[in-house]
Amino acid sequence: MANKKIISCVLGIMCLALTFCICVQMKTVKQYSTKIGQNYDQKNLRAEVLRYKERYEHLLKEIDNLDKTLEGKIEEATDQNTDLEDARNQIKEGNKLIGLTEVTGPGAIIRVADSNIESSKVLDPSLLVVHDLDIFAIINELKNAGAEAISVNEQRIVSTSAIECGGNIITVNGEKIGSPFVIKAIGLPENFANLRRTGGYLEKMEEAGIQVKFEKSNKLTIPKYTGILNYKYAQSVK
Amino acid sequence: MVFVAIILGCVVGAIIGINAPTISYTYSSYLAIAIIAALDSVFGGIASVINKKFDIKIFISGFFGNAVLAILLTILGEKLNVDIYLAAIVVFVWRMFMNLGTIRRYYVEKWTDKVKNIHDAKKNSEQKAVQDNTEDK
Repeated sequence: MANKKIISCVLGIMCLALTFCICVQMKTVKQYSTKIGQNYDQKNLRAEVLRYKERYEHLLKEIDNLDKTLEGKIEEATDQNTDLEDARNQIKEGNKLIGLTEVTGPGAIIRVADSNIESSKVLDPSLLVVHDLDIFAIINELKNAGAEAISVNEQRIVSTSAIECGGNIITVNGEKIGSPFVIKAIGLPENFANLRRTGGYLEKMEEAGIQVKFEKSNKLTIPKYTGILNYKYAQSVK
Repeated sequence: MVFVAIILGCVVGAIIGINAPTISYTYSSYLAIAIIAALDSVFGGIASVINKKFDIKIFISGFFGNAVLAILLTILGEKLNVDIYLAAIVVFVWRMFMNLGTIRRYYVEKWTDKVKNIHDAKKNSEQKAVQDNTEDK
C-alpha cells in the first residue's frame, strides 16, 4: 500500500511538471506564431529573426548595465573631490542636452494615424497616410514652440536623427516605426497647444482625413537615445 | 489512487503553467522535444504500473535522462545541420503508441471479463430460477 502511495505521488508530480511544460510551450508558441500559413523556409527565417531580436535585446540590457556601472564608478571616483564633482555635473548636464539621458517633465503628446477612409473613395490616396515630411513638420513646430526633448514612437530625436520614408513605414534613427505615430515633447504645454491653431499644420492634416489627437500632459517621460553619437570629422576649434 | 494523482497533477500543472511567464523562442524547440520525451516516460510509467513492474528509480531516471538526452541530441543536430530531433520524435512517439497499446489491452480485457461475468451470473440465476420453478411444480 505504501508502495502504491509513492508510485501515485511520483506519477502525480511528473504529470504536474509535464503539463506545466506543455502549457508554457503552448503559450510561447502562441505568442510568436501568426495565422498566415508558412512554409519551411519562412519558418526558419522567422526563427532566425526572432533569435537576432532576442540577442539584440539582451545586448541592450547589457549596455544598460554597463552604463549603470560606469555611473557608479564615476560617482565613486568623484565623491570627495569638488573639482571633479563639478566636471561630473557638467557631463550630466551635457548628456541631458544631447539626449543621452531619460528626461521627464510636463509637455504634450500628439498622436497621428493613417486615415480610416477607404483609399478608393478619394482622388489621391497619398493624402490619407502620414508621411515622413508630416512628422518632420510637426517636430519642427514643436521645436519652434520651445520643446526641450522630443520622441517619436519612443525614438528620441537628437541632433543626428534622420527621419526618412521607407515605403509604408518611416525610419527614425534607423529604426522602423509605423502608424500610429506618438510624438511626445517636453516643454510648456500651453505653448504646444498653439499647434492646434486654425490653419496650422495639424489642422491641415486633419482636413486631409488623417486622425490627429492632441493631449497636454503634466508629466511624461522621454527615453534616452540608444544609438552612438560619434563625431569623426568635426573638430573643436581652439 | 494512481489515476487520481495523475489527474490532480495535470490540473495543478495546467493552472501553474497558464500563469507562468513564457520562455524565449530559442529554447522553445528544446522544451518541445523534452516534453515529448517526458510524455513517453509518463506513459511508460503508467503501463508498468499496470504490468506491476513499476520501479521508481528506473522511472525517474528515464524521465530526466530521456529529456536531457533528447535536448542534447537536438543541440548536436543543430550543430551538425542534421535534424536528429526527428529521429527522437519518431522513437518516442512509437514507444508512446506501444505503451498506450498495453494500457488499452489491459482495460479492454478487464472490461470484457466484467461483461462476461455479468452475463454468466445472469445465465446462472435464470437457470436457477427455471430449476426452482420445475422443482415447485
